[in-house]
Amino acid sequence: MKYRKTNKNTVILLFFIKLLLGITFIYASYHKIADPDGFAKIIYGYDIFPGFSINILAITIPFLELTAGFSLIFGLFPRSALLIINGLLLGFILVIGFNLLRGHQFDCGCFSFKTQDPTVSNISLLIRDLFLLISGVYLFRKTTAS
Amino acid sequence: MNSKDLKGTVLLVFFAGITALFYNQFSPFGIALFGQWETSKGVVFSISKTDSVDASIEINDPEIIKRIVQKKERIVLDVRPREIYNQGHLPFAVSFPLMEFDETIEQLLSSINRKSAILVYCSSIECTDSHTFAMRLKNLKYDNVKVFSGGFRQWEEKGYEIQKNE
Repeated sequence: MKYRKTNKNTVILLFFIKLLLGITFIYASYHKIADPDGFAKIIYGYDIFPGFSINILAITIPFLELTAGFSLIFGLFPRSALLIINGLLLGFILVIGFNLLRGHQFDCGCFSFKTQDPTVSNISLLIRDLFLLISGVYLFRKTTAS
Repeated sequence: MNSKDLKGTVLLVFFAGITALFYNQFSPFGIALFGQWETSKGVVFSISKTDSVDASIEINDPEIIKRIVQKKERIVLDVRPREIYNQGHLPFAVSFPLMEFDETIEQLLSSINRKSAILVYCSSIECTDSHTFAMRLKNLKYDNVKVFSGGFRQWEEKGYEIQKNE
C-alpha cells in the first residue's frame, strides 16, 4: 500500500487509520456472521428496508465488512476496500440519521445486538461513523492508485 | 477514482457475496434467502435453520384472542420474563417465562392437563419465544397449543384490558 508524497508523521498516521478501519470492520462483522438471524431482526427493526431484501442484506453485509477489512489491512486492492468501507459507512450514517430524525427507536447492531439506551448510543455511534468516514475519505485521497 | 479501483471493488464485492452465500448455505445458523417479514402473515422471522416458528398454530386476529380470553376458552400462558409480566399482562394469563422453562416444568406438568387448550404469547410480532415455548409443549405431548402472534404489544395497542401484579 503506497501513499502520495508525504512526510513521515503523516505516513504513521495513515498506517494507524488503516489499522483502525480494518480492525473495526473485521470486528464488526464477527457477531453478525455468527448470528445472521439476530442481524436480520436488527435490519428489520430499522424499518427502512423492504422485506425481500432483509435476509440478503443480513447474509452479505457482514462478509462485505470482513472482506473489505482484511483487504485494507493486507493491502489487497486497498483503494477498492476503502471505497466499500466508505460506502458502507455512508449507508450506516444515512440509515441511523434518518431514524434519529424521525424519532424511530432502533438497535444499531453494530458491535452487538443489545444496547442499553438506544437514543444516546445511536447519537454517539452516528458521530463515531462520521469520524470513521472522514478518516476513510482522507486515507483514500492519500493512497495512490498504483 | 479510476477503472482499477472500480474493477477491484467489483471483485471484492463479488468475492464477499459468493463467500457469504456459500457460508450461509452450510452454516448451522444459516437463514433463508427470503424471510417472513410481513406482519399481516403473523410472527416475523428470518426463517433460520434453528427457529421453531410454525405458522399453522398462530392466531393473528386480536378480536379472536379477545374472545378466547374473555370466555376463558384456553389457558393463557405468558412466556415473557416474570418482571415484565408483573408490569402488565393479558387477563387470567399465567406466567411461565421461557427462560425459566426447566425450573418451572414440574409446576406446568402438574397444573395443566395435556388435553387442555393452551394459548401462548410473548412480547410482540417480532418475538419467537412463544413459538419456542409452544414447540416444547408439543414435545411434552400437549397437542392443543396456539400462539397469539401479535403478542402483548398488539393487545396493548388495541386498548384491551390489562392486568397488573404490583
